[in-house]
Amino acid sequence: MKDAVGPVLRMCDDLEFVIRAIQEDNPPESLEVVDHGAYVRVQRSGLLRLTRASLQRHLGADFEISQLESIIAAFSGRIRTSSDEVVWNLQTAGASAPEGGTP
Amino acid sequence: MALMKREEWEHLVREVDWTLSYVDQDAVFPEWQSGTGRVPLEAWRAWEESYKISYPQYVSVQRDKEAAAFAVKAALQRSAVFDALEEGWKSCAKLHFGFVSLAEYAAFLAEARMARFGLAGAWRNMAVLGALDEIRHCQLSLFFAHEFVSKDPQYDWAQRAFHTNDWAVIAGRSFFDHMMAAGNVVDTAIQLPLVFETGFTNLQFVGLASDALASGDINFANMISSIQTDEARHAQQGGPTLEILMRHDSARAQWIVDKTFWLSARMFAILTGPALDYYTPLAHRRQSYKEFMEEWVITQFVRTLEDYGLSKPWYWDEFIEGLDLWHHALHLGVWFWRPTVWWNPQAGASEAERKWLSKKYPKWEELYGALWEQIMGNIKNGDERSTLPETLPWLCNMCQLPQCSYALSPDGNYRVQDFPLVYDNRTYHFCSKVCRQIWSEDRDMLHVRTLGERLIAGEIQPANFPGILKYMGLDEPRASGAPSEASRGKPIVTGTNSIPINSRFGTDFVTHLVMIAPEDTMAEVAKKVAHHSVGKRLAPEARSMRVYYEGRPVAADATVTQVGIAPLQHVFVDYMRD
Repeated sequence: MKDAVGPVLRMCDDLEFVIRAIQEDNPPESLEVVDHGAYVRVQRSGLLRLTRASLQRHLGADFEISQLESIIAAFSGRIRTSSDEVVWNLQTAGASAPEGGTP
Repeated sequence: MALMKREEWEHLVREVDWTLSYVDQDAVFPEWQSGTGRVPLEAWRAWEESYKISYPQYVSVQRDKEAAAFAVKAALQRSAVFDALEEGWKSCAKLHFGFVSLAEYAAFLAEARMARFGLAGAWRNMAVLGALDEIRHCQLSLFFAHEFVSKDPQYDWAQRAFHTNDWAVIAGRSFFDHMMAAGNVVDTAIQLPLVFETGFTNLQFVGLASDALASGDINFANMISSIQTDEARHAQQGGPTLEILMRHDSARAQWIVDKTFWLSARMFAILTGPALDYYTPLAHRRQSYKEFMEEWVITQFVRTLEDYGLSKPWYWDEFIEGLDLWHHALHLGVWFWRPTVWWNPQAGASEAERKWLSKKYPKWEELYGALWEQIMGNIKNGDERSTLPETLPWLCNMCQLPQCSYALSPDGNYRVQDFPLVYDNRTYHFCSKVCRQIWSEDRDMLHVRTLGERLIAGEIQPANFPGILKYMGLDEPRASGAPSEASRGKPIVTGTNSIPINSRFGTDFVTHLVMIAPEDTMAEVAKKVAHHSVGKRLAPEARSMRVYYEGRPVAADATVTQVGIAPLQHVFVDYMRD
């Protein structure tokens, strides 16, 4: 997947519910879920969003965005968090990346 | 009563800078620590963390993480899980504990420096949480390893390693000091959170977790992936620092990223490479080291670097080529010098494993197959002596790892190369051009001498293998799992007249420290150099040998004095071609 962004979730009880919440917040057909056993990559090209509203539907009304931290082992792309959502993106998504290097 | 959202009040606690009037700025934020360089001071006000968390949230989340990690530990403590783990997997865990536990403490010091000298209040806040994280990681690692000390004393190296002068520890300590302690905090923020933690630690803490789980070590898998959730947060100090630096001094940013990327890649080639491709039992390997590198570093991390406007490092092709080479050679070296490490390296070269290696690394058989063939032949013939070291490999003055990277020679053979540099009338040797260049730029803050240099200087006594093991803290009978045959007392450094050389034989995979005498003829020098390679890893051939010095062949009857071979110079020996 080009410009893949999104969380790498660690093995835990709530894993399935977090994935379901991500599927509600993003067009499910645009998502890729790769299971590596101890970790699961959920990714989408360019931008992936996860909201507190959908997390609360699956994990209980008192679930807070900050609690996600104990499930996220790593991620691709850049992250931006607020009390209402987490967004992963790349600012240069879709553009061709610079090639080569300095000597 | 409903609580206010964090966004409604957090500016009050995260923007805590004020204009200093009673003291100079430099008294509070000295340049050698704060390191603003060409970045105007006011530019740091724009520093904004992307992964926001308040202190009460931090405490609550960390409490849950700790509870979860300890619940798993407590549940498994009473089980027989540990006894059922395979030796190869235990080597992965022991290598990890020794190499990582106290490095976490060094990372605490780096975070604490950023918490004090970072030029933005928000950054300092985040670094305080980072410092608390690293204390947690250090304590978790020490505590989890301690449980097994009574069953296997090598687990004690979680506590011991960094207090010894084991060569692998010298390499780790030198790297971590360079990255975490030597620079100012702007450099540190890019070296540690951005390159090392965002780019590389995932390999060990997430990648290895999947092999740990497959191998049945649930406790270990749970511990390291719990640690990595802290890293995913505090590693985000790198991004905002890099953004500001890119706006004002992109050349500095690129250089810091480039050098740290290279040194990290070298370090993970010895820490993670052998663990994933050799120690983890074949049936439990999820992916090869190279595949993990492709997933985490090449695809994921490099794309992020490009997103910040950075270019690929200048040595990119050499790095990519190294993915097929470095860790195989380092593994072979660790196995051959197995008395010098605190874990029991598995050879991992059975027929089935070699098939797997050849599938993952098409050149493996051509490059390393014959060397292992010779070693296994010696074992089968009951000649274990020939599979044990009698001198030190030559260690790179930058990464402190053995010079053992093959490169394609003009004659079509893969050979190890030496990259020397004369500085202040002294010759230094490097494993690669890149290590040489980094050392050359940063030499004023690098004062770690290699184990070989210490031996030559007479600091290791007696100057023989038992003396070296003692110097490395491996003299206690149960500290190392290596055979006792290793403790032969033949001196390595002899007499004040003898000349230490950096020697290389034919297509062997590593260079050695060898002592020669001024009156030795080239035929005798050839014999001394060949002794450490021929019959050990290279099959003997019925051909005469020739010595090459400064790139030219020299006559067999000439003496060292006549040829003018100086101390610390590189000497190459090979069989003569027809």
